[in-house]
Amino acid sequence: MEMLDKLTILADAAKYDVACTSCGVDRKAKKGQLGSTTRAGICHSFSADGRCITLLKVLLSNACSYDCAYCVNRRSNDVPRATFSARELAELTIGFYRRNYIEGLFLSSGVLRNPDYTTERMCEAIALLRDEYGFRGYIHAKAIPGTSEELLIRLGVLADRMSINIEFPSAQSLNLLAPGKARQSIIQPMRFVRDGIKANYQDKRLSTVRRTRFAPAGQSTQMIIGASPESDFQILKLSASLYQTFEMRRVFFSAYIPVNTNPLLPPVREVPLLREHRLYQADWLMRFYGFDVTEVIDERHPYLDLQIDPKANWALNHIDEFPIEINRAPYESLLRIPGVGVRGASRIVMARRERRLRFEDLCRLNIILKRARYFITCNGVFAPDVIFDPLHIYEQLSRVTKQNQSNKFLKGQLSLFDASCVNNSDGIGSVSGQEQTAIRSGKFGLLETPAAVEQVASYAGK
Amino acid sequence: MLENERMNGRKGTRPERAYCKIVPGAPEPNAPVPSEKLSSCLSQSSAASEPNAPVASTEALLGDADLIYLYDGSLEGLLSAVFAAFARKEAPVNLAVKHNLQESLLCSSVFIDTDLVAADRVQAGIKRVLGSDTYEAVKQVFLSKNEHKGGVILRYLRHGFKRGRWFYTQLAHPVVSEFTAVQRVVINEAHYLRQFVRFAQLESGLYFARIQPKASVVPLIMDHFADRFNVQPFIIYDARHQLAGIFDTERWWLTDASQIQTPALSAEEDNFQALWQTFFDTITIEERRNPRCQRSFMPKRFWGNLCEQIPPQLRRRHPQTPTQIVQVLNELH
Repeated sequence: MEMLDKLTILADAAKYDVACTSCGVDRKAKKGQLGSTTRAGICHSFSADGRCITLLKVLLSNACSYDCAYCVNRRSNDVPRATFSARELAELTIGFYRRNYIEGLFLSSGVLRNPDYTTERMCEAIALLRDEYGFRGYIHAKAIPGTSEELLIRLGVLADRMSINIEFPSAQSLNLLAPGKARQSIIQPMRFVRDGIKANYQDKRLSTVRRTRFAPAGQSTQMIIGASPESDFQILKLSASLYQTFEMRRVFFSAYIPVNTNPLLPPVREVPLLREHRLYQADWLMRFYGFDVTEVIDERHPYLDLQIDPKANWALNHIDEFPIEINRAPYESLLRIPGVGVRGASRIVMARRERRLRFEDLCRLNIILKRARYFITCNGVFAPDVIFDPLHIYEQLSRVTKQNQSNKFLKGQLSLFDASCVNNSDGIGSVSGQEQTAIRSGKFGLLETPAAVEQVASYAGK
Repeated sequence: MLENERMNGRKGTRPERAYCKIVPGAPEPNAPVPSEKLSSCLSQSSAASEPNAPVASTEALLGDADLIYLYDGSLEGLLSAVFAAFARKEAPVNLAVKHNLQESLLCSSVFIDTDLVAADRVQAGIKRVLGSDTYEAVKQVFLSKNEHKGGVILRYLRHGFKRGRWFYTQLAHPVVSEFTAVQRVVINEAHYLRQFVRFAQLESGLYFARIQPKASVVPLIMDHFADRFNVQPFIIYDARHQLAGIFDTERWWLTDASQIQTPALSAEEDNFQALWQTFFDTITIEERRNPRCQRSFMPKRFWGNLCEQIPPQLRRRHPQTPTQIVQVLNELH
């Protein structure tokens, strides 16, 4: 088979894997060897869907012996199959890397024969790259559930980051949609990888270089959003516990895109991209902004508001903590202002040592006041034209959402709602009567509206 | 002036060459004097009009609003002009490159001769009083295409010598913020280039990349690429500033490059470009198509030098003549 065809098949089969990050490990260049990695990672291109391309993301093989309902590579699907040889893959990676197309390799695979055999093939390919080609770039390896521990160690030592996909936010959905994978076979290797990484740091007999050898960039995982009935609350709760118990570097969300027709799978009219976006925003709040999962979402409002971002939502629900005085508030409070990020907050802290900040000073600090202006005071004064009223702010902020997202991106995103729930024809940025009631009741969890709750209930019943 | 006294560094020593590693064994080791190189690249740079960052116009900052210093376009020249401003106790509103000055009736201009000793004193003074990070920042701003950069640097340094080492944290101060705004443009551009440089392998085995950055950032990115690709010789050619960074697997240096013939590509280059283009197209998930998002991360001005963004009709027909390209483009319309 031609290399071009192989690459087409195996890249196409890998594209639904979300993780495309090259961050988390700083490896200096070494004389005579190709490659280095930087802690922040570098994106080398952006595909037409706006996702970054930083790694050569391919499967080693798409000939899979499993039959997962949601997966494009399932055994019963009639698609062309291909497998890379270790040499082909190494040549391709090096060729791309030398031209500055990529930061490294992301290697996953369908299950060839059995997990151990597959992982052996993967190790072989990566070892060729590392040893024979002296490659020092980034390698992300996917662990196949059910692999033996010896092989996992080998893979972890060769790769920078490891990941095992948790696939679905609950064990029931996993059983239903991925009968080949047991929950235990996913959790077990995750725990193993975590312990391996921990052991690196604890074993004082090893030098610092060797101590960080097992998966130095940590582990990550991903789950599919919208193929199963779990609420945002369950999803975020799960990802919070993944961060805690497994010390994940990242939990990725992947909006479900129907690739197979299966009665078990829900009929999805539109890809839930906005929902995915909001989940990521919530994820960021938990990882960088000191939010606890219970602050972002709670059981009574199990879905994130699609109209405004989770941080603004939190702020509107805790309006008594606002406005925040820019010149006095501690760093932690500054971080809670919608529209102010980690960089903005630290700039404020730095700059206010010299002078009392005014609104024009904030502009000089490159802080965007579009959202923040409603929640702050400078020297005790609000920004001009700000009406400090939650309902008013809510309307203004949802208008910002409307401006930010292109129509194309948003259209159909509200398909979770009943048509009756949305007043105007394009369904964007309007606040319907029922939503207004929800807002007046003091909470901004949009899906508390009766029609939406009904919808979720029927969805869950399927 | 007190500042001048404090800047009294190593007298008579040769100033550090801005961003130019003088390589004994390398081709043309002594011929290109960096100041000339940089001056020539600057004179061409400002021919194209780029929006310039607004300059703070507080009364106090303006100083002698009708005075402009001129320098030869090199970093040493700029530092000499800074020195002159301190020595003459004047506050020129801008330090401009001589060729670029548009005659103005309102301003008087004075040409400051490049004085290596003075430049060296300024450099040593900045490093000693304000830290070497500040000196690096000054060099970064110097690479910008902003016409007002000279004045921005002068005000920034003056402010720094008055307030001391931690002055750069005063981000809301108009002088500091105008400086960081210009610096940010340069740093961002350098990062874009670390992402979007695309090498092509030539017949000789050398790797060649063509770029057209907004600021002359080749000196800022050479270290990164020279480390990472230390096993392959390469050239990064900045077509807009006519500057080339050359790496021979040992050291890198800069050279003036006004005429570079588009070199012949190696046999396997076409193959790899085709593979990369295929990968790039395949990895897109159609259901998520979002070109606006793509453009915001990867602005269109880079696309001309990205082989994956060549439209399919133009691919895999190397070498292409301009007439061929026009022909295909006509077919497209």
